[in-house]
Amino acid sequence: MADVFDKCTNWKDYKIAKATGLYPYFRAIEASHAGTEVEIEGRRVIMVGSNNYLGLKDDPRVKEAAIAATRKFGTTCSGSRLLNGTLALHEELEARLAKFLNREAAMLVSTGFQTNLAAMSALLGRHDIVFSDRGNHACIVDGIRLSFATERKFRHNDVEHLEQLLQQADPEAGKLIVTDGVFSMEGDICNLPKIAELAQKYNARVMTDDAHSMGVLGEHGRGTSEYFGLEAQCDLVMGTFSKSFASLGGVLAGPFDVINYLKHKARPVIFSASMTPASVAAVLEALNIIEAEPQRRARLLDIAEKMHNGFRAMGFDTGVSVTPVVPVLVGDQVKCFRFWKALHEAGIFANPVIPPAVEPGHALIRTSYMATHTDEQLDRVLETFEKIGRKLNVIPETRPTSYTPVKIARPGTYVLSNEATQRWAAASAGLLADKGFSLEQISRMSGREVAAKLFDAMETLTYRAANLQPDDLKRLSTMPMKLWEKRSELPGLLLEKGATLFIKNGKQSEQSERN
Amino acid sequence: MASAPAARRTAHTELPPVPADVTVTPVQTAADLEAFVRFPYALYKDDPNWVPPLEMAQRDLLDAKKNPWLEFGKLELFLARREGRVVGRIAATADRRYNEFHGANSGGFGLFECIDDVGVARGLFEAVEGWARSQGFTSLMGPANFSSNYEWSVLVDGFDAPPAVMMPYNPRYYPGLFEACGYAKAKDLFAWELSSSVPPPEKVARIAEKMREREGVTVRPVNMKDFETEVRRIKEIYNSAWEKNWGFVPMTEREFDHMAREMRAIVRPELILIAEVKGEPVAFSMTLPDANFALKAANGRLTTFGLPIGLVKMLLAAQKIRRLRLITLGIKEGFRRRGLDAILYLDTLRTARELGYSGGEISWTLEDNQLVNRAIESMGGRRSKTYRLYERAL
Repeated sequence: MADVFDKCTNWKDYKIAKATGLYPYFRAIEASHAGTEVEIEGRRVIMVGSNNYLGLKDDPRVKEAAIAATRKFGTTCSGSRLLNGTLALHEELEARLAKFLNREAAMLVSTGFQTNLAAMSALLGRHDIVFSDRGNHACIVDGIRLSFATERKFRHNDVEHLEQLLQQADPEAGKLIVTDGVFSMEGDICNLPKIAELAQKYNARVMTDDAHSMGVLGEHGRGTSEYFGLEAQCDLVMGTFSKSFASLGGVLAGPFDVINYLKHKARPVIFSASMTPASVAAVLEALNIIEAEPQRRARLLDIAEKMHNGFRAMGFDTGVSVTPVVPVLVGDQVKCFRFWKALHEAGIFANPVIPPAVEPGHALIRTSYMATHTDEQLDRVLETFEKIGRKLNVIPETRPTSYTPVKIARPGTYVLSNEATQRWAAASAGLLADKGFSLEQISRMSGREVAAKLFDAMETLTYRAANLQPDDLKRLSTMPMKLWEKRSELPGLLLEKGATLFIKNGKQSEQSERN
Repeated sequence: MASAPAARRTAHTELPPVPADVTVTPVQTAADLEAFVRFPYALYKDDPNWVPPLEMAQRDLLDAKKNPWLEFGKLELFLARREGRVVGRIAATADRRYNEFHGANSGGFGLFECIDDVGVARGLFEAVEGWARSQGFTSLMGPANFSSNYEWSVLVDGFDAPPAVMMPYNPRYYPGLFEACGYAKAKDLFAWELSSSVPPPEKVARIAEKMREREGVTVRPVNMKDFETEVRRIKEIYNSAWEKNWGFVPMTEREFDHMAREMRAIVRPELILIAEVKGEPVAFSMTLPDANFALKAANGRLTTFGLPIGLVKMLLAAQKIRRLRLITLGIKEGFRRRGLDAILYLDTLRTARELGYSGGEISWTLEDNQLVNRAIESMGGRRSKTYRLYERAL
C-alpha cells in the first residue's frame, strides 16, 4: 500500500548533495553588516545573492520607521484586511503607492507570491484565456492553476509565438497577457512595446510582474512600463516589497474597480493576515527614499554595467541580462555546485540556479547587486570569479582578446535583452544537457552503436594524443604532483562523479517510468 | 538608399526556386553536428583527388573552445535535407574583425558542400542570406573557413591534381552553383607549380646574390629550440607585411599561436626561413611539406575499430612526402622591391633539393599582385590552379 510519506523517505537528491558537501540551500545568516556583507558560520562573506537592490534594508531611516510602527501598532494585525487587519498605515501606503505608480488604486497583499496568486485566481474566470510567458515566476504559474481559465504559454519573450496564440484564440473570450517585467533568473526584460501592441490588436489586457524592476527601472523607478513609456497601455502592475522596498509583501495597482473587486474576492487576500505594521512602515519609508534619492538607481545600474563587462572581459557568459541580475553561465549542474562551493569558501555569497529553474545544461550562478556595494567589494567578487572560473574550466586560462559589452537598461535606452551567445542559446534550449551517456542509455543501444561510441572515443583519444605538444607533455609530467597536492579533494571529487552518474540515471529511470 | 539594393536584387531575378522537398535547417543538436561533419565523406566518396580532413580536426574547427577564430567570429551552420538525407551544408559567418579592418559590412559563408543540384544550393544560400540580413550585413563574400588566414575560396580551374596542404578542393560544379545563385566573382587566387629539379634561371640567381651582398642579408632557418620567440618574430612580420593585401585580416594573438601549434607537427624547420638585415628580422618565408599526401592515407580517421590504423598509415606516408607548399612569404614595409623575395625563393628551392623534395606549389597569390606573380614566373613557376572568391549584395 502506498504511503504519502514514501516520496519523502525515498528522496535521494538531498542526501547525495549533503554527502558530497555540495548542498547550497538554507544557509543561516548570523549577522548583517550593512547588507553588503553577512556572517555565515562565523565568517564574513560578500553578499551578491540578495534582491536588496537599493540597499535599503539596512538603512537606519527604514529601520527606525519599522520600530516606530511596532511601538505604535504592535507586532501584528492579527487578522485579515477584510475584517480586523486594516490600519490607517495600510491605507496610507495604498494611497501613496497608487500615486507613485500613476494608478487609480492599489492594494497591499501580505507577500509578493500571494499577490500574483490573488490576482490570477480571482481575476480569471472560466471562459477567459491567459497568455503567460514560459519564463514567468512560479506564483503566476500557480495563480493560473488556481483559476479556471485556459492557459496558453508562449515561448520566453517570443512575441511572434504570442501573436500566433492570440490569433488562434477565440476572439470573444476575455484575454490577459501576463509577463514578468524583468525575468528573475536571466535578467532580461519583457518585450512590452510589442506585447502592448498585440494586446490592442487582439483586445487583451496586460499585466506585468515588476518584482525585480520596481525601484530599479525607469526614470522614477516605477518599473518596466515606465521604462518603456507604456504605463497607459499596461493595465495592471504588480510589485513586491522584499526587493527594492526593503520589507515583505506585495502590491497590485490598476483601475479602481478591478482593485476593489479583488480586495473583496481574492481568497489569498481575504483569508490571510495582513502585512505587519513594521513591514508597512518600512515600505513607506523606503518609498520616501526611492522618490528622494534617484542616485541610488543610477549607482545600481553603473554597478550592473561594471559587473557584466567585468565578467565578460574574463570570458564568462552573462547571457541575455541587461539588468542588475547578472547570471554567470556554468552549464553543468554539478560543476555549478562546485563553483558555488568554491565561491562560498572564498567568501562570496551567490546562488546556484539549476534545473528545473533553468533548462538542463544551463546551470548558472546568479548574482545580483545593491546600490550600496563598494567598488572594493565588487573587485573582489570579480577576482574570485576569475580564479575559480579558470580552475573549473568555465573560462579560458587567458582572457579573450575581445568581448561584446552589455548595454544596460538605463532610462531612455529601451534595450530588452542582450543578444544571447551561441552557447547560451544552445544551453537554454537544453541542447548542452547530458552530453555524456548513462548506463540507462547504453543498455538501450545495440551492440553496434556501443561499439561505434567506443571507437569514436578511441579516435578522440588518439587524435588528442597525436596532437600533444612539448608543453603539453611538460604539463602531463607535472600531473602526478598536482594530483598529490589535491589528494584531500579526491574523495569529494569521486563522490561527486558518482553523484552525477546517480542523478542522471535516476532522472532517466524516472522519465521512463512516466512514459 | 532603400531602393538601391532592391533594384540590384531584381536585376538577377532568374534565381532558381528551392524545391519543395528540400528543407534547410540550422544545426542544433549533436546529431545535426555529426551529420554536418560527416557529409563531405559521403559526397566525395568517389573523387580520387579529394583529401579527407580528419573528422576530429573538423569538429575542433567548429568548437568555440578549440578554434580561436570563434572568439570574435560568429558562426551559424545549416543543413539541407531531402527525404531525411543530407544533401548539402553551409556555414554563415560574421567576422567582426574583418569588417572593422576593412570598414566593410559584409558577412561570409563557408564549409559549403552540396550535391549537384541548383535548387539545394539556392536553399542553402537563402538560409545564409537570411541570417546575414538579420545580422545587418549588406553583402556576402566567400567561401571562407573562416577568413583569409585559413582555407578560403573555391577551386575553379585545375581539378586534375589533389590540393596542396591547407588549400581547398571541391567538385567542378561548385562555381556553377554559386553563379546560378546570383554570386559574382570578387577576386581570383592563383597557385603556382614549381619543380626543384630545374635550376632557377641564371640571371635571377645572379641578381639575388648581388642583392644579398649589397644589403647584407642573412637567411637562417627558424630556431625550433626558441619556438616561442620565433613565432613572435614571424607574427610581427606577417601582420605588417600583409596589412594592405586584399581580404586580409590580421590574426589575433591566439589565432597565431593556434596556427603555430597546428603547424608545428608538420614543419621542417629548414624550410622556414627568416631573412635578417643587420640582425633585424625583416622577411620570412614558410614552406611546409605537403601533409595532404599523408592525410589522404588516413582517410579521415586515425583509428579503425579503435586501432590506430589510420595513424600508422599516415606516419608511414609522411615519410614519403616529396612535395612542398610555400604557404607565405612576407616582407616588412620598407624592405620590399629589394630582391628579398627572390633570395628567399632561391634558398627555399635549394634547401628543398638538398632535402630530396621534388617540387611543390606556391599558393596562393592574388591575381592582381603583379609583383609577386611576375617574380614567381621568372623563377620558372607555372600557374597550375585558379581559385575564386565570390560575392553578392544582399
